[in-house]
Amino acid sequence: MTINRRNVVLGGAAVAALLPLAARAQTSEVVIGVIYPLSGASAQIGVDAQKAFATAAELINEKHDFDLPLARGEGLPGLGGAKVRLVFADHQADPQKGRAEAERLITQEKVCAIVGTYQSSVAVTVSQICERYSIPFISADNSSPSLHRRGLKFYFRAAPHDEMFSTAMFDFFDAQKKKGQKIETLALFHEDTIFGTDSSNAQLKLAADRGYKVVADIKYRANSPSLTAEVQQLKAADADVLMPSSYTTDGILLIKTMGELGYKAKNIVAQDAGFSEKALYDAVGDKIPGVISRGSFSLDLAAKRPMVGKINDMYKAKSGKDFNDYSSRQFMGLIVMADAINRAKSTDGDKIREALVATDMPGEQTIMPWARVKFDEMGQNNFADPVLLQYNGGKFVTIAPPQAAVAEAIWPMP
Amino acid sequence: MESFAQRRRRDLIVAFVLAALAACAPFVIKDVYVQNIMVLTLMYAALSQAWNILGGYCGQISLGHALYFGLGAYTTTLLFTKFGVLPWFGMLGGGTISALIAMALGYPTFRLRGHYFVIATIVIAEIGLLLFHNWDWAGAALGIDIPVRGDSWLRFQFTRSKLPFFYFALVFCCVAWLITWWLEDSKWGYWWRAVKDNPDAAESLGVVVFNSKMGAAAVSAFLTAIGGAFYAQFVSYIDPESVMSFQFSLLMALPAVLGGIGTLWGPVLGAVILIPLTELTRSFIGGSGRGVDLILYGTVIVLISLARPEGLIGLFSRKRKEVSR
Amino acid sequence: MTTATIIQSLASGLLMGLLYGLIAVGLALIFGLMDVTNFAHGEFLMLAMYISFFLFAFFAIDPLLAAPLVAAAMFVFGAVIYLVVVRFAMRAKTNIGMVQIFTTFGLAILMRGLAQYFFTPDYRSITQSWLGGKTISLGGVFLPVPQLVGALVSIAAFGALYFFIKKTDFGRALEATREDAGAVALVGIDKNKVFALGWGLGGALVGLAGAIMAMFFYIYPDVGASFALIAYVTVALGGFGSVFGAFAGGIIVGLVEASTALLLPPSLKSVGIYAVYLLVVFIRPRGLFGSI
Repeated sequence: MTINRRNVVLGGAAVAALLPLAARAQTSEVVIGVIYPLSGASAQIGVDAQKAFATAAELINEKHDFDLPLARGEGLPGLGGAKVRLVFADHQADPQKGRAEAERLITQEKVCAIVGTYQSSVAVTVSQICERYSIPFISADNSSPSLHRRGLKFYFRAAPHDEMFSTAMFDFFDAQKKKGQKIETLALFHEDTIFGTDSSNAQLKLAADRGYKVVADIKYRANSPSLTAEVQQLKAADADVLMPSSYTTDGILLIKTMGELGYKAKNIVAQDAGFSEKALYDAVGDKIPGVISRGSFSLDLAAKRPMVGKINDMYKAKSGKDFNDYSSRQFMGLIVMADAINRAKSTDGDKIREALVATDMPGEQTIMPWARVKFDEMGQNNFADPVLLQYNGGKFVTIAPPQAAVAEAIWPMP
Repeated sequence: MESFAQRRRRDLIVAFVLAALAACAPFVIKDVYVQNIMVLTLMYAALSQAWNILGGYCGQISLGHALYFGLGAYTTTLLFTKFGVLPWFGMLGGGTISALIAMALGYPTFRLRGHYFVIATIVIAEIGLLLFHNWDWAGAALGIDIPVRGDSWLRFQFTRSKLPFFYFALVFCCVAWLITWWLEDSKWGYWWRAVKDNPDAAESLGVVVFNSKMGAAAVSAFLTAIGGAFYAQFVSYIDPESVMSFQFSLLMALPAVLGGIGTLWGPVLGAVILIPLTELTRSFIGGSGRGVDLILYGTVIVLISLARPEGLIGLFSRKRKEVSR
Repeated sequence: MTTATIIQSLASGLLMGLLYGLIAVGLALIFGLMDVTNFAHGEFLMLAMYISFFLFAFFAIDPLLAAPLVAAAMFVFGAVIYLVVVRFAMRAKTNIGMVQIFTTFGLAILMRGLAQYFFTPDYRSITQSWLGGKTISLGGVFLPVPQLVGALVSIAAFGALYFFIKKTDFGRALEATREDAGAVALVGIDKNKVFALGWGLGGALVGLAGAIMAMFFYIYPDVGASFALIAYVTVALGGFGSVFGAFAGGIIVGLVEASTALLLPPSLKSVGIYAVYLLVVFIRPRGLFGSI
C-alpha cells in the first residue's frame, strides 16, 4: 500500500473543519454525542468514524441535492434550521470510560442524543446510562444481538445484528446447494471477544438448524503474535467453507499464515470486521481473490442510486477511503438520529424517542441496501437486509441476496 | 525532631481532616462527571493503598493485582446474578476467596526475587484473565450485564446518583489507609523495616517475615477484591478485559509509585494527581483521535519518575524536615 | 492428530521461538548490563517495524536490505533513550527497580501516542518483499521463508553477540561494568558510555527483529503489546542477565506455545507458556541459566 500522507493532513483538516462550525452555530444548534475508541488498539476505527460522522453532519447542515433525509435544506427545519454539532468522546474500548463519557456528554455538553460505539461491551454501559438519563442511543455499528434484548426503551439499532448477518450467509449456502454446489462442512474461526463469541454462537446454531457440519470451531486470542497452530487445525479440517470472525490484525495474519502453511481454503465467507477493511486487502488482497464478506453497505448501489457514489466521494475526500461496512453504518446512524430529532421538533429525550419509534424511512432514502428503517418494539430495525460482497479484481461486488445482487457469485473461490 | 508517636498522631489528625473535607465535597461539587472522577480517584487511592501494603512495605512488587480485582468483581456479580446473593455478602466472599488465593500463590512466589517475582505475578494474572475469557458459565467474553432495578442500598445499585458510591469509596479509602497506618506501627511493620534496612536481618527473621508477608498478601488481596466488587456495582457491567486486564495491575501500582512507594500518604497523593489527569486528558484531548492524550499521560509519568524518583511525597517531607530543624 | 501435524507444529514453534529469542535478547542484554527492565521494549519493536515500513514505502528498500539500516537507526535510538531518559532514572536512591519500571512504562505510552500522532492508527504492512509470502515445503512440512531467515538471523546474532562479549575489548568492558560498576570507574571506563552503548546494542538487536517481522506481520501503534509479555517471559525463563538464556528461553517458549495449542483450545495457548515459566522459577528461582 502507499503510505498516504494525505490521510494525516486530511485528518487534521476534518477536525479543524468542525471547529468553525461550533463557533458559528451558537445561536441555534443541536448537540449530538459520538462515542468511539479514539486511542488505543482500535483507534483506527474511531478515527475513520469521526470522518463518517463529519460527512453526515455536513450533509445535514449544508444544502445538497440528495434524496436523503435533511440533505436538501440547511440544518434541521423542524427546529428552525438548527445546525447539528457533534461532540466526540474517546472510550478507549473500556466500558467504564464509555459510561463516564456518556454521562459527561449528557450532563456537561448537554447532548440530546448519543451515537456509538464500535465495541459491544462499551455499548452495554453507554446504553445503560442513556436509559437512566432518558437520552436516545443509536447503536450505529454494534452487531451483538444481545444488545437490543435487554428491555431498554432508549436503545435503537438501524443496522443488522450478527444473527441477521449469519442468516444471510446460510441463505446463500442453501441457494448454492440448490444449484448443485457441494457445501457440507464449515470451519469457524473466531476471536475470543464479544464479537467473535456472538458471531460463532449464531453460526453454530444456524449450522445445526440447516444441516451443515461444523468440522472445526476455533476460538483464538485476539492480537496473537502467531496463528500457526490455529491455521494448522483449519488446514487439517479443510472444510468446504472457512468462516472467520476476525478484526483487521488477525485477519491479515490469518491469510498470511495460511499462505505460509500451504493451506488454500476452498471458500471463505467472512463475518465482516477485518474483512471489510481496506488495510486487509492492501496487505493480503491478492492472496484471497473471491473472498466473500457479509456487509451492510455496497458501493454497487451507486449505479442504481447515484447519491451513494457522491456521498462516498465526500467521505473519501476526508478519509482517503471508500465507505466500508462500519463507516456506512456510522453515517446512517447519525442520519437516522438527526431525522428523528427533526421530526420531534425538540431536543427532549422522550420526544426524540417517540420520533425514533415512529421512524419509517424508505430504503431508497438511505445509502444502504436496506428495505427501510423501522424499529421493532426492542429498537431493532429488522428491515436492514444484509448483503454479501465478493472481493474480485480489487473491488467488492454484491452477490446476495438476489434483490441486491449485481453479479453471480464465483463459487467455489478461484 | 518530632518523635515517631507524634508523627503518627499528626498523620491521624490530618487524615481525619482530609476525610471530613472530602465528605463535604459533594455539597459543593454537583457535576456528575466530576463526581465520577472523585469516585474513581478514591477507589484507586484505596486500591493503591492496598497494593502498597504488599508492594511498598513488604517490597513484593506485584503487577498482577488485577487478578484479585477481577475475582472480587466476578464473585460478587456471579453470586448476585446466578444465586441472588446480595452484593454485600458477595463482596466479603470475593475478598475471602482472593485472600486465600493470594496466600496459596504467595507460598511459592515469595521465594522469587526482583523481576522474577514481578513477571510471575503478571503471568498468574494473565492466566486468570484467559481462564475467565474461556469460562462460559461466567459469561466468557460476553461478560455479565448486572440488571439494575432502581436505587437500593440493599442491592447497592443507584441509577443516577453518584453519592452512595462516593461515600462508599471514601469509607473504603479511609479503611485502607487506617489499616496501613496501623500496620506501620505493628510488629509486622517493624520486621519489614528491619528487613529493608538490613538484609542480613532477613536471614534471622526468615520464617516470621515469610509469614508476615503471607498476611500482607492476604490483606492486600482482600482489599483489592472489595475494590473489584465495588467497581462491578459502580459500572454494572463486567467482562474479563474490563476487570482483569493488565492495565488494572498498573493502575493500582502507579499511584503508589508516583506518590511515594512504601509511604503512608504516597498512594493517596499519587491517585489524586494521576486519576484526574488520566480522565481529563482523555475527555478533553482524546476526542481529537490523534493520540495526544497518550503523549501527555506518558510524558507526565516519565517526568515524575525522573524528577521525583522517591515519589511526589518527597516534596512534602523535605519541607517538613526543614521545619523540624 | 497425525505425526505430520506434530512435526509441523514443532517446526513452526521452533522458528517462532528463535524469533522470540531475537526479540528478547536486547532486553536480556540491557538487564544483564545494568539491572534495568525496559518496559518499552515492545514499543522499540514497534518503532523498528515502522522504520522498515517507511524505508520500504518511501525508498522501496526491501526489509532484508533494510535490516542493517534499521539496526543502525535503532542503535542510535537506544543510546539516545539511555542518555536522555534512563540515565536519570538510575539516579534514584530508593526503589530504583520501581522507578525504572515506571519510567520505561511511561516511555512506552508516550511512544504509542507519538506513533498514533505521526503515523496514524492505520494498519500497515509490507506487501511486496523478496521473501514475504514465500514458503518452502519439505516432505509436507511448510517453512515460511521470512521466518526461516529470521531464525538464521537470530542464530547468527546470538553467535556474534557471544563472540562480541567474550572476545572484544568493548565486550569485556560491558562484562566488567556489569559485574562491578564502581570498580570499573576506577580503571577509567566511563560507565555512561558503556551503558549507552549497551542500550544501543539492545536497540540494534530489536531493530533486526523488527525488520524481519515487518516482512510478515502487520504494523500499527499498539503492535508491540502483542510481543512485550512474551519477551519478558522469554528473558526471565532463560534467566535475567544471560544472553544464552534468552536464546534457549525463546526456543522453549516457541515450542511450548506450539505444543499447548495441540493439546488445549488455541485461545489458551499462552497459558502453556506461563505455566512453564512458573514451573521453572518455582524449581530454579533464577531461571534456567540465570547468574544473578
